[in-house]
Amino acid sequence: MSNFSVGFRNNGSIQILDLKGELDAHTASELEAAIQKCQAGSSYKIVINGSNLAYISSAGLGVFMAYIEEIRENGGDIKIAALQEKVFNVFDLLGFPILFDITQSEDEAIAKFEE
Amino acid sequence: MLTRTNQALETKSEPEKKESHGSTILLSILFAVCFVLGIAYHLFQWNTGSLGPISLQLASQAVLVVGYASLYFVLHEIYRTRRSRPAKSLWTILIAGSVLLVVASITSRLGGPSILPGLEPPYNLVGVDPETGIPFVLATIFKMNVLALSQITFALILLLKLQDLVLVKRSKISQRNWYAMIAIMTITGLSFFANRPGDSPGELQLIAMIIAVVFMLVNSFRLSWIVYLSFKEKLATIGLMLLLGLMLLFGIGVLNVGPIDRLIAPGAANYLEMYSYPIFNFVGLATLFGVLYATTGFLSLLFHLPTSGEFTQRAGERATMQSLAHLVGQVFDADKLYTTIAAAPVEAGSAHVSWLAVPDFKSGSLTPSLVSTHRIEVEMVEKLVDSKALFDEVLLSKTYLHLEHAPTDRRVHAKPGAGIGSLLVTPLIARDEVLGALFSAKDVIRGFEGDDIQTIEILSSQAAIAIDNARLFEQAVERERLSRELSIAREVQQKLLPQQIPALQGLSIAASSVSAHEVGGDYYDFVQLGERKLGIIIGDVSGKGTSAAFYMAEMQGVFQSVSRLAPSPCDFLSHANTALAHSLDRNVFISVVYGVLDLEKEEFVVARAGHCPVAFVGQARPAVYLRSKGLGLGLDRGTLFRENLEEKRISLEPGDVFAFYTDGVVESRNETGEEYGYDRLLATLQEHRHEDADGIHKLILDDLARFLNHGNYDDDMTLLIIKWHGIELPEIASRVLEAEEST
Repeated sequence: MSNFSVGFRNNGSIQILDLKGELDAHTASELEAAIQKCQAGSSYKIVINGSNLAYISSAGLGVFMAYIEEIRENGGDIKIAALQEKVFNVFDLLGFPILFDITQSEDEAIAKFEE
Repeated sequence: MLTRTNQALETKSEPEKKESHGSTILLSILFAVCFVLGIAYHLFQWNTGSLGPISLQLASQAVLVVGYASLYFVLHEIYRTRRSRPAKSLWTILIAGSVLLVVASITSRLGGPSILPGLEPPYNLVGVDPETGIPFVLATIFKMNVLALSQITFALILLLKLQDLVLVKRSKISQRNWYAMIAIMTITGLSFFANRPGDSPGELQLIAMIIAVVFMLVNSFRLSWIVYLSFKEKLATIGLMLLLGLMLLFGIGVLNVGPIDRLIAPGAANYLEMYSYPIFNFVGLATLFGVLYATTGFLSLLFHLPTSGEFTQRAGERATMQSLAHLVGQVFDADKLYTTIAAAPVEAGSAHVSWLAVPDFKSGSLTPSLVSTHRIEVEMVEKLVDSKALFDEVLLSKTYLHLEHAPTDRRVHAKPGAGIGSLLVTPLIARDEVLGALFSAKDVIRGFEGDDIQTIEILSSQAAIAIDNARLFEQAVERERLSRELSIAREVQQKLLPQQIPALQGLSIAASSVSAHEVGGDYYDFVQLGERKLGIIIGDVSGKGTSAAFYMAEMQGVFQSVSRLAPSPCDFLSHANTALAHSLDRNVFISVVYGVLDLEKEEFVVARAGHCPVAFVGQARPAVYLRSKGLGLGLDRGTLFRENLEEKRISLEPGDVFAFYTDGVVESRNETGEEYGYDRLLATLQEHRHEDADGIHKLILDDLARFLNHGNYDDDMTLLIIKWHGIELPEIASRVLEAEEST
């Protein structure tokens, strides 16, 4: 029944996660598992591609908060790219742009890692 | 089994029994009359020296047949209520046979030898006319009647008792075969009605005899009772069968086997032949069947002797199966269930040691733990076998894993001779889910045969059902407990929300909060900061359910204590952030809007911590969102939070309306997936701004309900409307008066 999925891609040392569907309290664990998998593989440079993410709830946002500290301690980051307007508004409302690099496109996000 | 059915039969037919008792007596009397009439006819022969008219001969035959038929039913009635174990049936035959044999033996020897040498049977008897068979002396009549009675009685007992054996585990067909045999034997016997003793049977009679023999053969292979005997019982029964065969062959020589029959009761058969030729033939057939049955029984017992152990194993399997089936109902004690399941393969005789590994369902871990072992220590199993690896394999394959040569498998660390020669791992599958694995081991290699595996597989599926039931039961109990806890949590949470809406002059307030689940994460509250000053908060804890409710309770505590000390909304929010930061989980945050309405200064100040912005509309000012910068509480524990806070200030005019709400309102989606949205909320607010707070509150919710077009919300939804009506005219007048007086 889950209408959420995470796709994995690589761009050099950067791990790209393609989120698809609706990220809420029920599907948050799948994103958690995906990020844990990145950590297990020592990829701490993560770009979240949200172009196919249709919805995010507060529990979904919580997943980013849960891991960001540890990832930054390891010299990495989570950058969020290509969000749909509606989903971006949810991020924006909570002030996520203050805490995260949220970019228009995946390329910009990757470029930010190279800065 | 047999005895139990008998008891049922007996108790059921109490009145019937009485009735049959009466008919038994009547039949006995009938038999006695017929028997006496038979004697009378023989006396008539002796007296007149002739057989009498043919009608009298036939009538006497008929009387004898009827008489002995009655005897058959009398005996049938007696034995019907005394059905017994196979060995006992055989004993009855042998004892009755021996008694009657002794009687026959003595009788035939009374007053000297009975047989005259050199004459052809059947009239080679002393005191009998060799031509016609008419008795010369009274003693002959006596001998004839006693010998006939004893032989016929024995034949009838033989048939009735063998019937018990043949019809063990009866089916319709076996029952039919039996009665067909009796019927054909009777018909064959009766067909000799018109024959004189010594006549050779005609063609039809021969055919009837052959058919009778065919049915005898069919019935003599009904030996299913043999498999239930233990080894010792089989040995004893072999002896009994042998005795029975010998007794029938050489005892009362109804079969007319020549010189041998003369050893025990000389001439007994000849007397019976003369007594009644039809009955003689029937008795002969009965004896033949007895011999056949004794022979097949004897041979069958011999062949079954070596498989007795096998059968004992089967019996063990059955008993184990029964105790497991029984356990399926016992779901309250998981440990007991595990113990029984772990012991099952050994108890069934299919393995030497066995153990059970079950993953911990509660923690969701798939690593199995050894919950019970049988005939082997847990430490030993852990040392010898990598149960987890084997479990993982059957978890995937969902079928049994048979290691014929266990010591060569890398997952078995047992050296040859260490007790695990072959290993069978069967998954316990219920509803397509692997609930555990049953490990059965034998100390020899290639120890498991096909039927062992089959048995253990059946045990496993039984066990799986039992474990599944136990789990379902546990879950049901857990659910019940949870729902009780949740309803308590809900009660507590409802109490955390304001029980009363504060009343301030010139202000109307309406508020409602609906939880989508038992407990929600939405929160709103008021705090009276002065006589004409009100603090209003609305918030939403991330995530759902019980944990959200606990954080909400914490938020409430912070609000009630900190708000009174904080001079401004920004101050309050940054204090609250500091206070909550350490108790919130890293992935949890609370979005909040906090506003202060100062009616004295006619000012509204609001700050936003990640929450949906307050919607504002004035009577002459267009509706807008008071959107200021601000992070959710708990998102940042350092200075970022404070740095990004911003206050918005509105100077109040009469008719101003403020709408506080949670995302459940704007994010509610209708069937097509469209959200209610910020624009729609703002437009509705604008449209109804002339109403008081209650009216606006109701109209917005109505509009939302119309938009959603279905009754249930899928998120918590809170809406709070505050309207400033301004100071009433009389109040202004009194104030003016006061001012004038003071000057």
